[in-house]
Amino acid sequence: MEEHTNMPNVNETGEQPKRRAVTAESMAAKQRDISVSEFFAKNRHLLGFDNPRKALLTAVKEAVDNSLDACEEAGIVPETWVHIEAAGPNRYKIGVQDNGPGIVKKQIPLIFGKLLYGSKFHRLRMSRGQQGIGISAAGMYGMLTTGKPVKIVSMTSPKKPAHYFEIQIDTRRNMPEIINGKGDGEDIPAGEKGQKYITDHDIEWVSHYPISDQQPHHHHVVRSGTRVTIELEGRYQRGRGSVDEYLEQTAIANPQVTIHYVDPDSGETTYSRSTTQLPPEPVEIKPHPYGIELGQLVTMLKDTSAPSMAQFLTTSFSRVSSGVAQKICETAKIGTRGNPKKIGRQEADSLYKAIQETKISAPGTDCISPIGESLILKGLHHQLPGEFFCAATRPPAVYRGNPFLIEVGLAYGGTSSTQKVTLDALTDLLSESDARSLKQFLLTTFDGVGAIGADKILSQAKMGTRQSPSKLKKEEIDQLFAAMRNVNLSENQSMQVLRYANRVPLQFQPAACAITQSVIGTNWRAYGLAQSRGQLPVGPVTVMVHVASVWVPFTSESKEAIASYPEIMKELRLGLQAVGRKLAIYLNRRKRVRQEGERREIFLRYLGEVAHAVATIKDFGDRPRKDLYGRLVYVAKRKTAAAETQLKDDGKQRENAAEEFGENVLIVNPEETPGETASSEPTA
Amino acid sequence: MAKKTKSTSDKPNRSTKDRKTLGSIRDLADTVVQSAGRGREPYVDIPSRSLSNVRFNQSKRIIEMGSGTNRRELFNLAQARSYMQTLLVASGCKQLIDQGKTTSIRGLFYLLKHTIEGTSEETFDTQNECDPVIEDIEVSLDSMREELHLYAKNAGAMVGPITLVDSGDTIDCSRMGSGGYSIPSIVEQDIVQFKKNTAKFILHVEKDTVWRRFNEDKFWRKHNCILTHGGGQPPRGVRRMLHRLHHELKLPVYCLLDNDPWGYYIYSVIKQGSINLAYESRRMAIPDARFLGLRSLDYGRCQLSPSVQIKLNEQDIKRARQIAQYTWFVNKKPWQKEIELMLKNGFKLEVEALISKDISYVTEQYVPARLKEGEFLD
Ligand SMILES: Nc1ncnc2c1ncn2[C@@H]1O[C@H](COP(=O)(O)OP(=O)(O)OP(=O)(O)O)[C@@H](O)[C@H]1O
Ligand SMILES: [Mg+2]
Repeated sequence: MEEHTNMPNVNETGEQPKRRAVTAESMAAKQRDISVSEFFAKNRHLLGFDNPRKALLTAVKEAVDNSLDACEEAGIVPETWVHIEAAGPNRYKIGVQDNGPGIVKKQIPLIFGKLLYGSKFHRLRMSRGQQGIGISAAGMYGMLTTGKPVKIVSMTSPKKPAHYFEIQIDTRRNMPEIINGKGDGEDIPAGEKGQKYITDHDIEWVSHYPISDQQPHHHHVVRSGTRVTIELEGRYQRGRGSVDEYLEQTAIANPQVTIHYVDPDSGETTYSRSTTQLPPEPVEIKPHPYGIELGQLVTMLKDTSAPSMAQFLTTSFSRVSSGVAQKICETAKIGTRGNPKKIGRQEADSLYKAIQETKISAPGTDCISPIGESLILKGLHHQLPGEFFCAATRPPAVYRGNPFLIEVGLAYGGTSSTQKVTLDALTDLLSESDARSLKQFLLTTFDGVGAIGADKILSQAKMGTRQSPSKLKKEEIDQLFAAMRNVNLSENQSMQVLRYANRVPLQFQPAACAITQSVIGTNWRAYGLAQSRGQLPVGPVTVMVHVASVWVPFTSESKEAIASYPEIMKELRLGLQAVGRKLAIYLNRRKRVRQEGERREIFLRYLGEVAHAVATIKDFGDRPRKDLYGRLVYVAKRKTAAAETQLKDDGKQRENAAEEFGENVLIVNPEETPGETASSEPTA
Repeated sequence: MAKKTKSTSDKPNRSTKDRKTLGSIRDLADTVVQSAGRGREPYVDIPSRSLSNVRFNQSKRIIEMGSGTNRRELFNLAQARSYMQTLLVASGCKQLIDQGKTTSIRGLFYLLKHTIEGTSEETFDTQNECDPVIEDIEVSLDSMREELHLYAKNAGAMVGPITLVDSGDTIDCSRMGSGGYSIPSIVEQDIVQFKKNTAKFILHVEKDTVWRRFNEDKFWRKHNCILTHGGGQPPRGVRRMLHRLHHELKLPVYCLLDNDPWGYYIYSVIKQGSINLAYESRRMAIPDARFLGLRSLDYGRCQLSPSVQIKLNEQDIKRARQIAQYTWFVNKKPWQKEIELMLKNGFKLEVEALISKDISYVTEQYVPARLKEGEFLD
């Protein structure tokens, strides 16, 4: 297992200390292998299946992450479908499909029916999934809670038959059990015949999709792809930590993706791509010696086929030339020609130490593919309202031999989440909510609503904070809706932080996450936002932070929070400061423009009086008076415009806006209506 | 907007004085037209009416205004409003001159006060905002208040064996009953002319209450003098009247003021001129005026009861020290002693304190004694 996981070594039967009542023999009778599947069946929370609501999200998330990984690896612009359907009380059927490369027949059962089976664990390459647990764990959870098998359709080419599997996991053996086609799965013929087969056998599969909204009759044919359907015990509830939020945030960090989403109420939402440009393909790398632990080193020595130590070092690791290998061996006092398999524990120890003492250049960084500043701007602007956007991609850095890279985007301004919601959506949200009080409902459903904000809304709506959200009458909902519209939270809402690891949104455990910690640790007051000590800053502002790495150090298997390595913290800080500085420039400029506007207004206010007074003294008629007024207005405008190009306090000539901000800043005229958050047409 | 008057260009019956004032007002308006025409920012330079811009003229023994000016700009956030007010006042005076009317400064305030179009802002909020602007116009146009057709409310009265003509009416100041002749704010030659006078000096008292005591006791008849008061700090009309009486009729002026910093200050204003209106000193200051009382030593000299003491507060002490440092006091030993003694006493005395001895002590004993001794502070 990797050092980053907290998973106990479940396949080993450890020696137990003796107790008086039992003998070693009696215990031995009970000691046996624990399969990974069995272990996780008992410890679902480790994989994000702690409660029904989160389970639903996690299942969708595992499937979508896989789809996006597969598309990216295959160089396909991703088109994804997410369908959630109610299938009984506390039961949902989720279907996730992609237009990716598909999966070859013999791999399908293992991928979906065996835990710790994947293509991503044993390599160092940036991807969303990394452990090989995700989708099979989701399937297993579904099976354990509903007894229904996981259904997979996969097509690798329009000319070849597609495969259809219904799989169950034998948790004791951690092995797949194929239910359909007499244990062999079914083949769906290619072409027209396949269509008929699919309909006849009630198989779910999207085969066509519209080219664009404008041309509903022109269709793309799905030429390849995978669809996984899981039925599970779950709970659907919008708001924070929901599927909807996950998809929206995914769309922000993945502007190349289009997601067709149908929620359990049959509401259809399309998050459409803002670019067809795929992120550059990350290169797979070998581990860097600094990132290896002693245990791993021992295993690698055992497993290697290299005949000599020198060869072992140069072929197993990146950045180890024969010169470096020689140096390491010298320091470790081990012969370069020695057989790696014969290295003893002691020697391995000194080898490990020697590696740390030898200067080895940092790993290559082309294994990471950043979203890039311009696509971050696109993603943010496409999905979030705002008047100012900026982004910063940091150069790659290394923690424990693993290359990583930090990207930060920031959106400022726009309406708050409580103002965006429609009356229908609010009604749904209220009926779905299990919050005990209205105040709790507001706090848990909407982003950036603090206790103060919730109280403000409720007092405006003249409603008690203790009122139960699900028992509101129609008029009360109208009242609440109006209050939510009227109360402007943007001034005292706290910053919304969108966290991403390899483009996957992190929706839970914000407090435990290095990203949140460094956002809080940044002094935003210096950049013009209000912030109290140890708190998120306040204002209508959203920050997205992307940690990209060949190996993201999560704090647990459920991939919810990033561990705070000092190198990562440092890069996070620098990235946040970069967008902070841009924000400060923008806010200052906005303030200045406002002040200029106010100044101008003050001048204009008095000009009429002055012109009149002069006209009275000079016995002017209307014409010359108006002429004088016009001239004074002209001078006033020139005066206030001139002030903007005047010297700054520090005596330095003020540069023009573009130069000040640097690149990758997007300013949206606030008068313009902000871009809608995805095109959303409920069809219920 | 400023109220519109019908165009009245150069009426033939307009006095030379009015023509001169109108000329200065037009010059002011012209600066606006010219600046705007050239795309420049209009401003007016207003002679500064602050302590830093006054000089004590040793030979004339009056305070004179220096040449310092303050620039008031239209396109300056801090000054835009007062710039507008300056032009409003100028236009108001222009209308008064056009119509051949005069008004009180309060009247002008109401003439010019209105809501600025499209806002909820008033051109002037209070009279206090308007008054200094009027003074600004006076100094910048080098026109006296009356030349602007403005006057202040009457404050101050006089009685005495003098007959004068006020706006054509003959007034015998010895027959003015208990209230006396109310001194108008404009007492220039063209309005007030002195006819017959037998008085030998002027006794100026600080307040109306004290003045009434003297009038009731017919002090002026007994001592053959003119009795005036200025209701505290004497307004310009009173000071100008004293000035004219002093210079034209050669009457010495004696002041009976409270023994406190404020009394000293009033004396200083009558004698040397005020800092705020230094430009008026030439026709208002009376360098030969004398300070008769009350003196710091009067508490002992007149054996007053301790109950009449009023404790000096911090403000008084500060003021007193400041006054002692005035150029025109700093070299006068008796004054330094006087102020020092008051500070040492730690209390001040009002003229009314003398009443505690006897209702007419001040008119029958105190002042006559001082006059007899000829003991005054200069
Ligand atoms: N939609 C898909 N299209 C193509 N290949 C897929 C798809 N879904 C899964 N795979 C393959 O199946 C493997 C196992 O997926 P799984 O989600 O179990 O693990 P993972 O993605 O490698 O890691 P993690 O546990 O972190 O999700 C993947 O590594 C990938 O090779
Ligand atoms: Mg996965």
